Amino acid sequence: MNALALWVHTPAAQAVGWALIHFLWEGGALAAVLAAALHLLRPWSARARYAAACLTLFAMPLAFGITLLVLLPSHNIETVTVVRLPNAVRQFSALPSFQPAPAPRTFRDFLPWLAPCWFLGVAFFYARGLAAWLAARRLRHRGICVPPPAWQGRLTQLRSRLRLSRPVRLLESCFTDVPVLVGYLRPVILMPLGCLTNLPAGQIECILIHELAHIRRHDYLVNLLQGFVEGLLFYHPAVWWASRMAREERENCCDDAVVEFTGDARVYAATLAALEHRRAVALEAAVAATGGSLMKRIRRLLTEPQPAQASAAPAFAAGLLLITFAAALAAWPTKPPVRHAIPAVALQARLLESQTVVPQSSPPASALRKSQDSDPATTFRQWLTQYVRQDVKSEIAQQERTALPGLASPLAQTSAGAMTDKETTAKQDALRKELATPYQKWLNEDVAYIISDEERAAFKRLQTDDEREHFIEQFWLRRDPTPGTPENEFREEHYRRIAYANEHFSSRIPGWKTDRGRIYITYGPPDEIEDHSSGGSYQRPAEQGGGATSTFPFQQWRYRFIEGIGNNVIIEFVDPTMTGEFRMTMDPSEKQAPLAVKGLTPLEQTGIAAARPAKTFHSDQDRRITIVTGGGSPSGNTASRLNTLVITPDPVAGRFHITAKVTTLGGQTVQVVAQNVLAEISGPFVEWLELPAGSYILRATITDPNGVSKASETRFTVD
Amino acid sequence: MSGKPSDPPRPTDAELEILTVLWSRGASTVRAVHEAIVHRKPTQYTTVLKVLQIMAEKGLVRRDEKQRAHIYSASRPAEWTRRQLAGDLLQRAFGGSAKSLLLGALSSRRASREELAELRRFLEEYEKGTP
Repeated sequence: MNALALWVHTPAAQAVGWALIHFLWEGGALAAVLAAALHLLRPWSARARYAAACLTLFAMPLAFGITLLVLLPSHNIETVTVVRLPNAVRQFSALPSFQPAPAPRTFRDFLPWLAPCWFLGVAFFYARGLAAWLAARRLRHRGICVPPPAWQGRLTQLRSRLRLSRPVRLLESCFTDVPVLVGYLRPVILMPLGCLTNLPAGQIECILIHELAHIRRHDYLVNLLQGFVEGLLFYHPAVWWASRMAREERENCCDDAVVEFTGDARVYAATLAALEHRRAVALEAAVAATGGSLMKRIRRLLTEPQPAQASAAPAFAAGLLLITFAAALAAWPTKPPVRHAIPAVALQARLLESQTVVPQSSPPASALRKSQDSDPATTFRQWLTQYVRQDVKSEIAQQERTALPGLASPLAQTSAGAMTDKETTAKQDALRKELATPYQKWLNEDVAYIISDEERAAFKRLQTDDEREHFIEQFWLRRDPTPGTPENEFREEHYRRIAYANEHFSSRIPGWKTDRGRIYITYGPPDEIEDHSSGGSYQRPAEQGGGATSTFPFQQWRYRFIEGIGNNVIIEFVDPTMTGEFRMTMDPSEKQAPLAVKGLTPLEQTGIAAARPAKTFHSDQDRRITIVTGGGSPSGNTASRLNTLVITPDPVAGRFHITAKVTTLGGQTVQVVAQNVLAEISGPFVEWLELPAGSYILRATITDPNGVSKASETRFTVD
Repeated sequence: MSGKPSDPPRPTDAELEILTVLWSRGASTVRAVHEAIVHRKPTQYTTVLKVLQIMAEKGLVRRDEKQRAHIYSASRPAEWTRRQLAGDLLQRAFGGSAKSLLLGALSSRRASREELAELRRFLEEYEKGTP
């Protein structure tokens, strides 16, 4: 206790105490800014108001931290500080919020104990937060049940349509009475028991979309951070108020996302009402009074914004402003003790610094005073909006950049209420039409690249939606690498690839439709990407002619192995239109800016453009086999030469089993080209052979689609 | 339900998981319960059977032996067990505060009955207003 008593009289403890007191008006000022901003942003979207609330909330600890830094003594100043303190007592005792309970004799006795009290409070709130976090984690593992697989599948579909690449699990829980989202890195949606079976499918989808919107917006993380701010500045009601505003607007944002996605506000409003009703029925006894926030949300969803409530915000803002002025005027004169201690120039520099970091955290005294003699409200509001608008706009712009075009732009526009009727109906019609053919979309978009022709034909023959649902389920089941588990890794990976393609390869056309998208979705991420997206000069390899050349933007993707195609496959994408739309090319010269050489030989079209005189070896025993020697090495190893094995299939294309290896004349294996590779061949099958100069034998066995097997030996030399 | 002389004890975590399956899917055979659980974590069929037998002894579940494959059902509704568990001190200390971390379509506060009635009225009026 003695140590504590000693500590509280150190300058650091005093600085904490003063920072806590200063934050009373700082927090009030920030809340006033927020109230004004929320009022001015009323016609804007919920996202703008959410951004304003979050900015304000996170500016609060910043303001507190900066004040603390400014007040922290760098010199020995106890005496100065203490001597001047009685001044502050008279001014501050007018404020009701810190009437000390044990009524100490003077404020000077009381102030030092603020810091330890505050520490205790923070410790309490953080301990509670930690407990909450542990409990939330427990919810993911305790009293849960896996829902019928169809729902997880539906969630995956929704996820891909929302362009969300993170996996999300759906579970039923006996502990929640409303659907909730838990976890940030591995999010889980918990549904109350019976929800999935009792609510109509359309309503459940609304709920899922709402939760997915939370995930996409990283709300869980922001909510955790909010908890940190609340705990740190727990004693100020403005913090809790700003936090509540952020929570409310966050729900509105997700509501908007649902309406935007489904195009029907009524179904969603009915969903919310039904959920609340279920909860009420489940626990009739507990009837708690609420602020009617759900009613407000439903009204907001279905109608224009309520004009009646608009009058409350300015009144509140004005009240807060008044209090802030009073507090600010009372607080500023208490600064001198500190200012005496720190050299004036240094202090000014620090203050200036703090103003540039967060403009609204410490309103310049000049601005405040000036606004008093002219029209205070307008001047101050102009000053505020100038800053807030800027911040909010940049925040929105940033959000729009990160989100994807389909959802972001209409979302930013506004809520359903602010749209004209015509727009709304037109949009709803379009959306309904789209929903009417989800199976068409599934066939032509979701699985376009992986469905086989037979499967496609079979799917088209199906008559009812039930059959189609069943087919889709079976379709994925057949591809599930681990059929025993609820996760279908294949489907997860497939939708992840689509989302990735849409995120990274979109130009004029959606990413999944581009050449890069098609290759990515079909074969997955390449093992290596050589990126020349900026075009410009390029050192051409020898087999393409060598030397430096000017190129269009291009990329080379290298796959070590693709089943059915072979080893070390290099695919080149060129963007000759410079629009970001890369096209796959088999012609290495296409990337050269002055478009070169048309009319290539078939061999050259397969990617082999030999700069050195090429020698061709035809196999005597199997006429399908051709070996071309010549060219440089792609790996830059000058000792070996790039050669090519080409197998041209019979007129009938189909599945070939190919085994091929290169041996020395003495029979020693040099390179295994293909070990019983199952190749779906429709064009020439091409393999690279990287060999040092010498004589070799290619021993190959090719089994054609009819099951006829043929072995051959072909001698060839590399110069 | 009231026929039982005494209430069943609090279920363990493993028992709770089986109960959740029974509440979610209704009365089920051991095989059905096992299938539901194995979706989440690898579990032996015999383990599920053993736990179900113990739960039947404890009175947590009831066994219908009329058919060849015994059918199990939860002896208490989910709400009852939840309240029983809410009496658990740990649960009470943690469960309440966890709500502030969860994100859901509804706030953690419940709507009053009057509010619900108002809500329903509003939705009905809205339906009438916009054909």
